[in-house]
This record gives sequence, structure tokens and C-alpha cells, in this order.
Amino acid sequence: MTTIVTPRPELLDTSVRPDNYLTYTRGFLSWALTLDHKRIGVMYMSAVLASFFVGGVFALLLRTELLTPGRTIVSADTYNQFFTLHGAIMVFLVIIPSIPAALGNFILPIMLGAKDVAFPKLNLFSFYLWIGGALFTLYSLAAGGFDTGWTFYTPYSTTTTTGGVIPVLTGVFILGFSSIFTGLNFIVTVHKLRPPGMTWFRMPLFLWALYATAIIQVLATPVLAITVCLLIVERTMNIGIFNPSMGGDPVLYQHFFWFYSHPAVYIMIVPAMGIISEIISVHGHRQIFGYRFIAFSSIAIAMFSFIVWGHHMFVSGQSGLMNTIFSLISFSVAIPSAVKTFNWTMTLYKGTISLTAPMMYGLSFIFLFTIGGLTGIHLATLNTDVHLHDTYFVVAHFHYVMMGSALIGMIGGLHHWWPKMTGRMYNEKAAIAACIIIFIGFNVTFFTQFMLGSQGMPRRYYDYQPEFQIYHVISTIGAYIMACGFFLCAACFVQSLLGGKKAPANPWGGRSLEWQCTSPPPHDNFSSPPTVGNCYDFSMLRWDEKEQGYVVDKELEALAIAAEARGHS
Amino acid sequence: MLSTLTSIFIATASVQAAPPVVTPADFWLPIGASVQAHNVDLMFNIINYICYFFFVVVLAMMVWFVIKYRAKPGTRIRTDGMTHHTVLELSWSVIPLLICIAIFFFGFTGYVDLITPPKNSFDVNVTAFKWGWQFKYPNGAQSDNLVVPSNRPVRLVMRSNDVLHCCFIPAFRVKKDIVPGRYSTLWFQCDIPTGIEEKNGYHLFCTEYCGTGHSNMNRRVMVLPQAEFDEWLVKQAQWLDEIPDDELYFKAGPKIYARCQQCHSLDGTVGLGPSWQGVWTRLTSPGGARFSDGKSYADIIGPGKEYATPEDYIRDSIYNPGKHLVATYGNVMPTFKGQLTDRGVDSVIGMMKHLDEFDAKGAWTKTLPPAAAKTESKSEQK
Repeated sequence: MTTIVTPRPELLDTSVRPDNYLTYTRGFLSWALTLDHKRIGVMYMSAVLASFFVGGVFALLLRTELLTPGRTIVSADTYNQFFTLHGAIMVFLVIIPSIPAALGNFILPIMLGAKDVAFPKLNLFSFYLWIGGALFTLYSLAAGGFDTGWTFYTPYSTTTTTGGVIPVLTGVFILGFSSIFTGLNFIVTVHKLRPPGMTWFRMPLFLWALYATAIIQVLATPVLAITVCLLIVERTMNIGIFNPSMGGDPVLYQHFFWFYSHPAVYIMIVPAMGIISEIISVHGHRQIFGYRFIAFSSIAIAMFSFIVWGHHMFVSGQSGLMNTIFSLISFSVAIPSAVKTFNWTMTLYKGTISLTAPMMYGLSFIFLFTIGGLTGIHLATLNTDVHLHDTYFVVAHFHYVMMGSALIGMIGGLHHWWPKMTGRMYNEKAAIAACIIIFIGFNVTFFTQFMLGSQGMPRRYYDYQPEFQIYHVISTIGAYIMACGFFLCAACFVQSLLGGKKAPANPWGGRSLEWQCTSPPPHDNFSSPPTVGNCYDFSMLRWDEKEQGYVVDKELEALAIAAEARGHS
Repeated sequence: MLSTLTSIFIATASVQAAPPVVTPADFWLPIGASVQAHNVDLMFNIINYICYFFFVVVLAMMVWFVIKYRAKPGTRIRTDGMTHHTVLELSWSVIPLLICIAIFFFGFTGYVDLITPPKNSFDVNVTAFKWGWQFKYPNGAQSDNLVVPSNRPVRLVMRSNDVLHCCFIPAFRVKKDIVPGRYSTLWFQCDIPTGIEEKNGYHLFCTEYCGTGHSNMNRRVMVLPQAEFDEWLVKQAQWLDEIPDDELYFKAGPKIYARCQQCHSLDGTVGLGPSWQGVWTRLTSPGGARFSDGKSYADIIGPGKEYATPEDYIRDSIYNPGKHLVATYGNVMPTFKGQLTDRGVDSVIGMMKHLDEFDAKGAWTKTLPPAAAKTESKSEQK
């Protein structure tokens, strides 16, 4: 029950810069061939953010096209390609790798107290697989694009005349392996590289979340690989698997696809939930409420995620009995989600809450996830889903969960660990302003779409009835507001890199191990094996003006140790 | 909580017994015009109120705690918060679970009503294709819009010619995917006649993405009183036969062309299929290579060749669209075998021969002699 954070004299002296992972070696190859999980994490983050920009541009083009019924800026075929690209890029290139591969890679080993992940070379390989997958996706554009929707439903995907279908499927296949290897790496790391004292129930909740995610990645992604292979086989060799004109069954494809893609939703949201557990407790300076319930709810969500895929298919021709079973099981996901939400909220109770930029994202997450989660009830309920299926209600629902929750969680996490990753602080006020603008823009964009959907507007529509226009206009305005927020957020980060204040080791007052090493961390993370304590006990921290960060107060620490001893006696 | 659930139960039970009413459009839902709509809407609204409740609880707690426990400069970190509370945590696991099970149950019973058609239903055959709908009635009548009798359960027996489609009628709260290779069914009953005017009909959408024309696969559902419907049905079955042969091309042609216009323009605009502009000239005068296999029209049309006349070629292109593809176009056109009768094909061919009499939208620009105008207004069809 001791700790490490003591102000280091060399930190205060600007002439002696401690060695860190950024300055450890120099040159292009030192990055391209690095085995350092931190550098791989940073490369992933840059690549993911670049993809996010591209996916976001497509989103803005879509919303602009939908300003008026009929043609606004592009033709129907182009629009179909746009929404397909927006979906495929955001899902496969952005959200799935964003938290585990980008933030997770950087944070997981440090948080765990390890020097690196279990298989550093595999880690680098999985990054290059990601690059390969992304290149195939790019190539598919040159090969004629694809207009199948990110779901690649057959027989449309096997019969469409656009030339980019096979390249993008190959890309998805490769990206899947990237995801599997990251998952595998994390599972082994968590099992094998925990330092002495880091028991399962001392692990920060972000690690529980990454562990649960890794299990889903390893178990579910191979099914996607198989599905994609079968699709390529059918398209190139005309072997009837999914196409009824060759003796196949299109509904079989949907089963295969959702058997991966429903768990994939949890690959996106579970790590974001882990980030929120960290943000709420660290910036609230308050022991997380109900640690075990939150930890087990991550595992529960991971398990349930495998047996609810059929709720995407209530009107697909799946039998009524199957629909009933899937509807019932789908409600089970509501319970761990509700537990998490209530526990986060209760964590704020009697906290010492700093309204920092990460905390603003954390609070936004709770707000948006509550809406996203609750509207899932409408869709899990059989008779209401029949009306709402494949309308904008579904679009709004999954954007609240995948963007409003998973992506906002990722951006929040990026703000949370930015000082650690770059060694620089950002302009807090501007970052908070960006968060508020994004929050407002998001709700204007997507809350409107709930109304659109329940009024009966189908999704993936290029043209629409004039009575829906007002909703579309509001939604598009929201998208532009959101874009402004993201640009401000990006500007904050650029400003921070160019001239940000130097970050202290512990700017927010966290107690997990990554806050014990310098910002940015040294190449080997820890010079000596770290001492593991209760990562949610904030009682011994105090703000230090000189350090401009939190430090462990010796007196408070002694008090805490005494209290601990009393508790044990 | 228990009393709330009981009252919901009673409310649902009493509604099932009550006669169906039209629910007007509100903030969330469009007009509910089928007998099933009321139950779906009730469920939707109950879930909505549950959502409002939990949302407000979470939001209020969050805002209150953030304001109350906000760190002030110089304050020590509080340490008096509890780390867990098993009873509290179990209660917010178990109570939502019970609510969810209740919602599931009512959703399930509502769903069974929604998908089980009564025995005495009136069947309409539906064919969905890229990108349109064909509604066929027991007496052989066909229609582009769905016309159904009121006060009677209607069952749609649906099939697809090509890819997945989905039939969605928001006002009836019904939806069902149409999967190629199998029949799917959907039923509803609407007790509020709309009349035959297209603009008064309810929307029917395709909600499974199917390509370029996906968002144009919308039609209207018109509901007629039984007697009026019967009359319409008889007339609809005969409409092509009632038109004299020499008037087919301008009376029936444009109506049939409405189904072709998404892909085939009349003014040379490049679409998914070749434009009809100048088609007859192309077919009857020898030209260069015009098919994707390198053959020209003259190679396959003519006495002793594959098609004796251009008419034969057009007819076969409608029934077997993939046989000869015009160069640069893909094999995307569905067959119209069984949908277009010989007289229908005649109308199309007639229209192709007289394209100079039509504008770019397919409207006939000539006027009828006064005597013929009378018959025109009499045989005006939907």
C-alpha cells in the first residue's frame, strides 16, 4: 500500500530531459520497425484519426446530399457508395481498432505494470495488417468502389456491378486478422505479465474492459473471415452459398454476418465503457462505485454478445420462435448496461469532481449512452421493432451507441491520456468548448433521426418524401455543428503538440500505474518494478502547485496505510 | 412499481378487447390506420415513458452530483464515499430485469398478433424487383400501387425477382423482408377507406437496400370499401383489353413505361439501361457493333436470323433481358415474364415506334380527336 509518485528533481529542471519513448531513438525506421507498444499505439492512433477524418468527410457529404429530396449534390449511385464507405471506414478502420489497438496498445502494458505486450513482434505485425487492410479498402475505390452497404447483404453484394467489392472484402478479411492478433496479444499479456501484487481485482476497470473485448475479438472475428471468404468464393467462382438462384440462402449470410457483427458492436462499446470507468473515477477523485459489478458486467456483456445476433433479423424471414428467443436474450444485455450506468452515476456521489475536458466527455458519454441504451429497448421488443427496423430510428440508435458512446469514449480517453502520450498539456478551456459543441451537434443530428425513423423514414434512402425534409435539414445542420467541434478539438491537439505546456506525471490525479511514470513514459515504462496498490484510492493525493500536477502526500499516505491496517485487524 | 406494471397489464388487456381506432399522427408516430397499429403504438409509448423515467433519473443524479460535489480550489479530496452497496446494486440489476421481462412479454404477444393472419384473409400476390412492385390479384388484375379492400384482413404473399427487398407500410406498422427464393407473407387490416386517389394513399416503402433505385421503390396503398374494390378489381383486370389496338401505344404505353423509366430514358440521358431514344431507327438500320459480344443488330435481326423482326427482339429483351446485352451495359434488368402480357408488350413496342409523339417524361403530346377523347376519359385507369 505504498506508492511511487514523488516529484523528480530532473523533471523540474528543464535542462536535463529524461529519456522517454519519443526521444529514445530517432529516424523513420526507428518508428517503422519499432517493437515498443507505445510507438505502435501512437502509429495506430494517427492512422485511426486519419481514417476518422475520411469517414467524417463522407458523413458530411451524405448529410449535404440529404438536405433536399432528390438530387442535391450527387447521383443515387454515388450516394450509395458514400454511405457504404462511411459505414465501412467508420466500423472497420476507425471504431473497432480505435480503443483496443490505439489507446489500448499504449495504455494496457503501462497500466498493468508491464514493459510491453506479450508478443511485441505480433503487435507490430498486426499494425501492418491494419495498413494492408486499409490499402485494400483504398484500392477498392480505384477499382470502381462498392455500393453494398457495410453489411454486404447477399445477393446484392454478389451481383452488384461495382468493381470494388472483392478488394474491400479482402481488406476486411485482413483487418480481421489485425484485430484477432491484438486481442490474442492482450489476453496473454493480461494473464501472464501482471507484476507481483497486480491481482485480477486490483486491475483498473479499463483493463477488465480490454480483456473482455479481446475475448470477443478472438472468438468472433474468425467468423467474419469465413463469411467474407464465402462471399468472395460465391462472387468469383459462382458457387451457390448465399444466392438462391444457385441454391444458396441469403438469410444464412445474415446469420453469419451478425454472428460477428453483433459481438463487434461490443468490441466497440465495451472498451469505451472501460475508459469511462477510469475517467469518472479519476476526474471525480472518487473510488469507483461497485468495482466488481462493473468488472463482471464487462464479462457478462462479452458473453451475452454472442447469443443475441438474431435481433438484427426480426423481419428477415427468421422463424417466429427464433425471433422470440432472440428478443428475450437481447433484453439480458440491458442489465449489465444499466448496472454500469447507475454505478458511474453513483461514483459521482460524494466525489471531488474536476470538470476537466476528459470529464466533460465522460459526462457526455453517460448522457448519450443512456439514450442509446434505452432506445435499444424499442428495438429489442418484437412488435415495436417490426415498425422501427431499417428506419432512421435504428440509424439514430446505433449512432448514439457507436458514435455518441464508443467514439466519444475514445475521444475522451484521448484527452485523458494525451498528456501521458505526448508529454504536453492542451488548452483545457478550448477542449471543453469543443466537447460541448460536439455534444450539441451530435444531439441535433441524431435525436432528430429518432423522430424521422419512428415517423417511417427508411434508412439508406437517397430520395425521400417531402414531409421528412425538415428533419433532414435539422439533422444536417447538426452534422455541420459537430464537424466544427471536431475541428476545434483537432486544433487543440495541434496547438498542444506545437506549444503546449509540459505535462506533469500526474495531471488529473489518477492512481493507476501509468500515472506513476513520467510523461511521456520512458522506453521501458518503469525503471524498477512498480508497486501496485488500490488504483481507485485517491485519499493520499494532493495538488502540487510547483509540479502543476497531483502528488502523493506523505502524511495522507501514512494515514491511509494506518486506516488500511485498522481495516485488516 | 408493481402497481405500475399491473396497470399496464390492465391497459393492454382492455385495449385488445376494444374496437380498433385510428390513432392520429403525433410527435413520434405517423397515423396508425391498421387494426394492429394501436397495440404497437401502445407498446411504443409505454417503452417511451419507461425511457423518459430512467433518463430523467440518471440525468438528474448526474447533474445534481456534479454541481454538489464539484471540486473547489484548495479542497481536500473527499474520502467518505462508499465503495459499493450490494443491496443497491442488486436492486438496479433486478428491477430493470423485471421491467425488461414484462416488456418482452407484451412485445411478444403483440408480435404474435402482428404476424398471424386471420383465416379469411384476402390474398394479394406481390412481386418486388429492381426497382418496383407488381401487385397481382386472384382474378388476374395487376397494379403498380397496392389497392386493397377495407374491413377485411389482407395477406400479401411476396416474392422477389432479384435481391432482398422489404415491404414496409408505416401507417399499418407492418414490415417484412422479401427474400429471393422463398415466399414471405405479411398481413394487415385497414378499416379506413382512402379512395382511389393516389395522393391520399398510405406510403409503401422498400426498406431493404437494393441499389440505385432503392429509394424510388415507394408506392401507395389505397383502401377501398368492398363494393368499390370489387368494381375496381374487375375493371383493372380488363383495362388492357378495353383499349382498342390502335390506341394501345399512347394509352397503355405511358402507363407501362412508368415502370421502365427509372433505367430507360426517352431523351438520350444515360441511365442504367440504354435510352429508348432512336431505338427503332437503331434496330432497323444496319449499324456497327452494338452488343457486348461484338455483334451488331443486323447480325441477329432479319429474316432467317435469330429474330425475324425487330419486334421479336424487343419482346425477347423484355422476357430474357440477359440474352443480348447492349455494349457497355450490365446484366441488371429483371425479367418481366408473367408481368407483362402480349398486349402490354405490344403497347411498349408501339410506343417505341412513335417516340416523337411523347415528351421526355413519357407523356403523350398529341391530342385525341373529340370522339376518341370521350373514350379516353371513360377508360381512365389507375
